[in-house]
This record gives sequence, C-alpha cells and structure tokens, in this order.
Amino acid sequence: MIKLEQVTKKYGETAAVNGFSLEVNEGEVCVLIGPSGCGKTTTLRMINRLIEPTSGRILVNGRDTGQAKPEQLRRSIGYAIQSVGLFPHLTVAANIATVPELLHWDKSRIARRVEELLTLVGLPPAEYAAKYPNQLSGGEAQRIGVARALAADPPILLMDEPFGAVDPLTRERLQTQFAAIQQELKKTVILVTHDLDEAIRLADRIAIMAAGKLVQYDTPETILSRPANKFVHDFVGTDRALKRLSRINVERFIRPAASVALSASAREAKTAIGGKRSAWVVDEGGQLLGWIDKASLSEATSVRQAVVALDTKDIALMRCATLREALSRMLGQGLKSIPVVDENSRLIGEVTLGDVEAATAEAEE
Amino acid sequence: MRRQQTWRWIVLAILSAAFIALIANMGIWEASLRYLFPQESQVLHPRASLLTLVVEHLGLVGISSSLTILIGVPLGIWVTRPGGRNFLPIVTDLTSFGQTFPPVAVLALAVPMLGFGLMPTVVALFLYGLLPVVRNTIAGLSAVPPHLLDAAYGMGMGRLRALFRIEIPLAARVILAGIRISVIINIGTAMIGAAIGAGGLGSPIIAGLVQDNLAYIIEGAVPAAVLAVLADQLLANMESSFAYLPEEATR
Repeated sequence: MIKLEQVTKKYGETAAVNGFSLEVNEGEVCVLIGPSGCGKTTTLRMINRLIEPTSGRILVNGRDTGQAKPEQLRRSIGYAIQSVGLFPHLTVAANIATVPELLHWDKSRIARRVEELLTLVGLPPAEYAAKYPNQLSGGEAQRIGVARALAADPPILLMDEPFGAVDPLTRERLQTQFAAIQQELKKTVILVTHDLDEAIRLADRIAIMAAGKLVQYDTPETILSRPANKFVHDFVGTDRALKRLSRINVERFIRPAASVALSASAREAKTAIGGKRSAWVVDEGGQLLGWIDKASLSEATSVRQAVVALDTKDIALMRCATLREALSRMLGQGLKSIPVVDENSRLIGEVTLGDVEAATAEAEE
Repeated sequence: MRRQQTWRWIVLAILSAAFIALIANMGIWEASLRYLFPQESQVLHPRASLLTLVVEHLGLVGISSSLTILIGVPLGIWVTRPGGRNFLPIVTDLTSFGQTFPPVAVLALAVPMLGFGLMPTVVALFLYGLLPVVRNTIAGLSAVPPHLLDAAYGMGMGRLRALFRIEIPLAARVILAGIRISVIINIGTAMIGAAIGAGGLGSPIIAGLVQDNLAYIIEGAVPAAVLAVLADQLLANMESSFAYLPEEATR
C-alpha cells in the first residue's frame, strides 16, 4: 500500500533521513517511533510531499508520489497533527468539511458526512457542529482533528503525534477510541509518536528509527521479546515484560466467577461461594455491585448486610481491556482478581493474578 | 453580539445623517460663527459652500486611500509569499521612508512634475498613508500560526486557496486596523492639498491663516474633525462586523 524505497532527505550536508525503506500493508497501523530528531516526522511529511525527498521513491498503491500533483495527492491522504491545527475562524462543521469542499462535494453530502464523522468520534453533532475550535477542550479538539482527517474517507491516514497535546487520562481514552475506529474502518495508518506505550498499544507494526535510519521494523511483540540490537533494547526499557502485557487482551483469560445476588440469604451465599473465600455481588439484572467475604457471612444474616460496595468504574474491566490494565487495577486495589463486565456493567467473569503471571511467563518463552 | 453590532451601525447612520444635514445648512454655520466672531466682516469662506468643500475633501481622501489600499494590501501579501519574501526589507524600508518624508515636501517636489491641483496631492497622500497599510498587512499575515498552514497545505489546499480561506480571514482584523489608521491620517493630511489648489476643507483654513480670520479656520477644522471621527467609527464597525475576532468565538 505504502512503500518507501531508499528515501533520503538532506538539509545541506546533514541527512535527516538516510536511505530509509519501509513497506506498510493495507489496513495496518505502522507506528514510527524514535528519539527526538531521528527523522520520523520528516519521513511522514515526505509521504504527502509536504517535504520533498532528496532522493529515493515513495509509492502509494504502486504509484510514484513524485509524479502526482501534491495537492491532489494530499486530498487522498488524511493528515492529523499534534497541534491539531483546527482553523479558529471556522466552525467545527466547516473544519471537518475542508477536504470534501476541496473535492467539490455537494452541500448535502458534506453535511451528512460531517454528522456521520462527529458521531463516529463520539461528539453529538447537534451540540458540536456549530461550535468554534476555542470552545472545545483539548481532547475534543483532537477528536475533531481526527474526524477532519477522515472526512473524505481517504484510504491512508498520516498522523503526527495525534494524541500528544492532551493529559494522560484523555490520551488513553483517545487511543482506545482510535483503536475501535481503526478496527471498524481498517485504514492504512502511519502514526508518528515518541510514546512507546502508545506505539505498543496501537501498532500492528512498529518502525524504530535512529539518526534517520530504520533500526527495527516488527510487530510490537517481537520488538519487545527480541530487540534487534542494544539501541532497541535500551529504547524499549527494562519493563518490557510489563509493556508486553498491554498487547494481550483480557478476553482469553476471563474465567467464570462466583457471584451471589444481593437479595440472597447468608446460607444461600455460603453455598454459592463454596470453597472460595469471596464472591462478587450482583443485583437482579446481573449488574456488579460489590463483593462479599465468606468470613463476614458468619455474623450476617443476609448478603445485603455484609456486602462491600465497589465503585464499578474504578474496578471492573471491559472485554477490550488489556492484561496490563488488569494488573494495574489489582495492584492499585489490592485484589487478587478483577471482575470483567459488559457494556451494561453486568458481570461476565473475572481475571486472576495467577492468569496474569502465567501469561507473562508464556510471552517470555 | 449581533444586536450590539446592528446598534452600532444604526448610531453611525444617524450621526452621519445629522452631520450631512448640518453642513448642508449654511445658515446655522453663519449664525453661530457670527455670534462667536462678531468682529469679522465675513465668517464663511466665499469660495464654495461647506457641502462642496466636504465633498472635495472626501474625494481627495477617497482617491488616495483607495490607491493606498489597492496597492498596499497586495504589496504586503506579495512580500510574505515565498516569491516575494526577498523584497520584504526593501518594501518596509521604502514605505517607512514614504511616511517620514513630509507630505509638504512631496508636494513641493511633485508640483513641477504633475502641476497644481488634484494629482500631486493624491500622490503625497498615497505615499504618506502607505506605511500603516503595508506594515499591518505584513504583521497580520505573519501572525497566522504556521501549524494552521501546515494543516491547510497537508489537507491539499493550494497556496492561493490557503491565502484567501485561511490567512486573509485570520489577518483581516490587523489589516483593517492598518487601513483605519491610514484613512484617519489622510483625512487630516488632505488639508495641505488646498495649498496647491486641490480644494477641500483645507481651503477655508489656509484662507483663514492668510487673512487672520479665525472663523474660516473653524469652518474648515470642525467638519474635518467630525469627518475623521465618523470615518473611524465606520471602519471600526467594519472591523467588528466582517473580521474574525479571536475573542468573539468564545462567547
């Protein structure tokens, strides 16, 4: 889909990018990562010809980009940047409509598309379409930035630290949302970042760059388990095992969990818990409410008296969560197992510390 | 916000109408000036009616300011483009020179070449008013954040489209502020045109100075001052109605 062949960019005598070759398959997310000044942004900007390469070829769908008209080329490639670059004098709707307008779509089609995209990025069109960029929070602005890049439904998306300028919590939410959108749209994405966790989380393949050269190009799993050299080894850091956990979905590790209804009596609860020490407490609809300790049941007559209420949002995981999140919640809450719930916060099962340890050992091999 | 703007336009229209009614009515002027200066045998400049003088004056300002805008704004745009960037220092120097050079001196130099009357005055006013327009155009365009242009080009806008859709709307306020300063300066400076027969509100003032008639000076000065205030208001209204204001969007 995208192919860079021996691409070099020189500024005077110094080469910002030096003999760089890379191939990105259709529908894949390729993350370019490396220390500051390694040439990752330059590489990205050469793909849509905001920077012209000194030598080498860049092929998009087998066609040499050097032969295309830069403006035409760029209209077929989505572009999202860290500073977002929303035009402050235009409404959110007009900002999103930028490329469709350049492509002379008719008005009703543009309006429909804007609505579609705002819904896609989770911002209600009725509320946001008429807003101006400085009425948005940082996270909202970045989501609009992504929506704008997707506006004309380009098959390729170039993103330069698209989640860079927001707080860590918002960033994580944006990443999760982006992963979900990507799952649905299957764009070919090249994303530049200096955040390794982001790379591991989002990438199908990671390209690690240093001093304008490609050092290793592989799946996140391989990069973590078999770094090509000392540079990559040092770059991924000593907590590789922990990082690997963020590539593993909890889904595979969900096991059935003992649960009792809030309305149950102490006797019923004891039978349900069986040989275990505790169980999750749910309401009639199966929604998670808290947990109960078997020992505390001997003094209580009903579950209602002995239940330890939980803030479900802080504890429970969704199916799409990673083992790293599971582990972090276990450590944070001092629990040996973490409940997993569905969209309506109904208990599905649990993930235990033992499973996380086993998964770590398995990945190590 | 919108309502406030509508009100400002209404107020301006009422004030302008009052001003026109006042200058069209020579009787009021004659009576009040006679009351103030009973010793003068004549209180109104005999050459032309006040209305004619104001129209002449507006003509001078209109022609020279239009020239200033038509040449100054494109000049400012050109020197901020890649093709014209090399000329940026020369253009700013030349326009600064145009303003430091006294208009009277321009007149003295222009008369032998262009004769008396309208032409040399327009040239002098044009040169004198060029600096604020060019300077503000350059300043406004340079203040457009580079990452916005990166986004614009990155999405496939051509240079011309980015200029008209992004750069000029964002710089409009600063450019209009430059035009406003230039026009106000011109209204005052256009007085000197009378010295070489270009007419305007300078005629009664110069006649008043020569004949030591304070009433003539007042007859020329007061309408000119009011004219400057009205023009200032007009351009201020245009600024807030048509140009993008950073703080407007936060409302």
